Amino acid sequence: MNAAGQVKGSLSGLFNARSIAVVGASPRRDKPGNHVIRHAKAMDFDGQIYPVNPTQKTIEGIKCYPDIMSIPGRLDLIVLIVGADECVRMAREIARRRDEKGDVAGIVVVSGGFSEGGSAEGEEKEKAMLEPLQARGIRLIGPNCLGIIDQYSGVNTTFDVPPYNKGGVSVVSQSGALAASFLTWAKDMEQIGISKFFTVGNMADVDVNEAVEFLGEDENTRVIALYVEGIRQGRRFVEAAKKVSQRKPVVAYKSGRTSFGSGAVRSHTGAVAGNDRIYDGAFRQAGVIRAATIAEFFYTVCAMGKQPLPRGNRVCVLTVVGGPGTICIDALLATGVVEMACLSDGTKGHLKEILAPTAVVGEPHGYVDLTGSVTKEKHEEIVRTILADEGVDGIIYLNTPPPFLGDEKLVESILKGYNSFSEEDRKPLLCVLTFGSNVAGLRLLFERGGIPTMEFPDIAAAVMANMIRYSEWRNTHKTFK
Amino acid sequence: MNCRKIVKDVLAAGRSHLLEPEAYQICDEFKITYPQFIYISNAEDGVEAARSIGFPVAIKVVSPQIIHKTDAGGVVTNIQSEEQFSDAYDTMLQNVRKNAPDAEINGVIVQKSMPKGVEVAVGGLRDLQFGPVVMFGAGGILIEVLQDASFRLAPLDREEALRQIKETRIYKVLQGVRRNEPSDIEALADLLVNVGDLLVDTPEISELDFNPVLAYPDRYAVVDARIILSR
Repeated sequence: MNAAGQVKGSLSGLFNARSIAVVGASPRRDKPGNHVIRHAKAMDFDGQIYPVNPTQKTIEGIKCYPDIMSIPGRLDLIVLIVGADECVRMAREIARRRDEKGDVAGIVVVSGGFSEGGSAEGEEKEKAMLEPLQARGIRLIGPNCLGIIDQYSGVNTTFDVPPYNKGGVSVVSQSGALAASFLTWAKDMEQIGISKFFTVGNMADVDVNEAVEFLGEDENTRVIALYVEGIRQGRRFVEAAKKVSQRKPVVAYKSGRTSFGSGAVRSHTGAVAGNDRIYDGAFRQAGVIRAATIAEFFYTVCAMGKQPLPRGNRVCVLTVVGGPGTICIDALLATGVVEMACLSDGTKGHLKEILAPTAVVGEPHGYVDLTGSVTKEKHEEIVRTILADEGVDGIIYLNTPPPFLGDEKLVESILKGYNSFSEEDRKPLLCVLTFGSNVAGLRLLFERGGIPTMEFPDIAAAVMANMIRYSEWRNTHKTFK
Repeated sequence: MNCRKIVKDVLAAGRSHLLEPEAYQICDEFKITYPQFIYISNAEDGVEAARSIGFPVAIKVVSPQIIHKTDAGGVVTNIQSEEQFSDAYDTMLQNVRKNAPDAEINGVIVQKSMPKGVEVAVGGLRDLQFGPVVMFGAGGILIEVLQDASFRLAPLDREEALRQIKETRIYKVLQGVRRNEPSDIEALADLLVNVGDLLVDTPEISELDFNPVLAYPDRYAVVDARIILSR
């Protein structure tokens, strides 16, 4: 129940909408109201799209309607991309439609000009817009947001995210820009596929807590990427996230680490606390993986979307190149959670047999330097041998790929080794290729094969540590069902 | 519901800080342990109290206006004999009257002086977004300098409290460094759980500090307790 005593509608009515109206649809290709129509149309969506614009007959080849009331049949979702005052008026119109036709599960308000500016006037408008909707259980996402995408149902209300690869990652964000950037970073290299994209904007109605709870129940979502600036009901968030974390990872980036002073402080505890430290503790308690940097956030999500969790904390650094390998070990040990794997005598013996005499095997512990003389074919057996070692919980593979190794053959060889294990027996393998865009083709092959790639050795270490921390948390918070 | 009554009485008296003896009464209810003490109002009773507790003892002034007792000269530790006691008692009260002339002095606590242990701090506060929160960290004056502290939402269980302790740097010291025996980390975890329960059960408490808490191989002792209420 909400404040108005009305039962809140389910969010699935929005994400699984079969008909979408776009108020503010525009024929002009330089307008966001046009892009919303084009993106919606470009999706694999077999429902109805209804541009609403009283001055047009069609937009992007789709029949246009003068207003909300004239749209025939059942209407599930309405996108508003008009001025704030017009949004307030539209909300009343939508309420009227609900009263007369009983439809409209929810609306997405892309428009700004509400509470985000901090003005009393903006807050008033937001309230006025929400009131008639809330009284009827119609859900509101935003305002001041990009809206939502469901790559499985084909719903897309955004003006700047075209159709995307299907996959197991869902993004929840208080910033539309950051969320859209996240998808863009991962796009060319196919580092993620998405289930849902969920920007919450000002959170007038639907907030981060509800978004996380909802994605926790979404069977297409395997990893939740969460960007937050501030959480209104911290305690409720912890309770919700803790339940979700027992089933799937929630990787978070929380901005606003600096505290803005909290008035007079009377105790030591108060002086040390600061909002950010409490967030730290709260996230840990909830099993939420808090990334320290945006790069770590991004790559942790990418890796967890493709790889299984490590069962322990013993990592093998498998490298073809000295420097990046050393950097990686430094970074792994600095996390405080990783142990370098102690390879068995059998593993070491076998590796020595197949590798050149210059290769370094298990000195120091967990470090294998293949040296440049290693061939593509040998990678299969190397990867298989190390993954089979019971003392190894995960591998970070590092290479500056030499041109004499054919891209396809190297990837094929590593994937053969990796895929020789059944799914239950698989361990995480992260791949660091430090040659930037020179190796874009190679990275794409790895990514398509399910092996996450990264550019920097220390980021890979941070990602592996996050996977280990989460795995440990999961093990101590088993749900018995 | 002794605890709620104490809190209500303090608020009714127009105070927002609990006196140390009141804070210890609340500790009792939540199984939080502190060194034995006797609350006295003159030097004669003090000597008697020290004798019954056994030397060495510490004395601390009890005043509603004095929150930072050490700063006001209101604490003397490691008093070894009856002779020393009388001197220490007089000197302490003189210092307090000099440093805090307007403070009303309710009495003096005579408390068992504790041997050296690892100093940690346990705290609690009520956060606007997260509600009751428990803190654990390095103790004494180090806490504000090192910022070595970790937080959890209350209530919390023992496993969560152990994880909280392990996140701090002082944890390494608690595990025993060089020839020092490891401290009773389980007991500290119980303390965190109990502080969490205290905060949940007593919504009037806005902040609390147990600093320092001395950790020993077989127990802990809260040697200073500060509890702040909100109306």
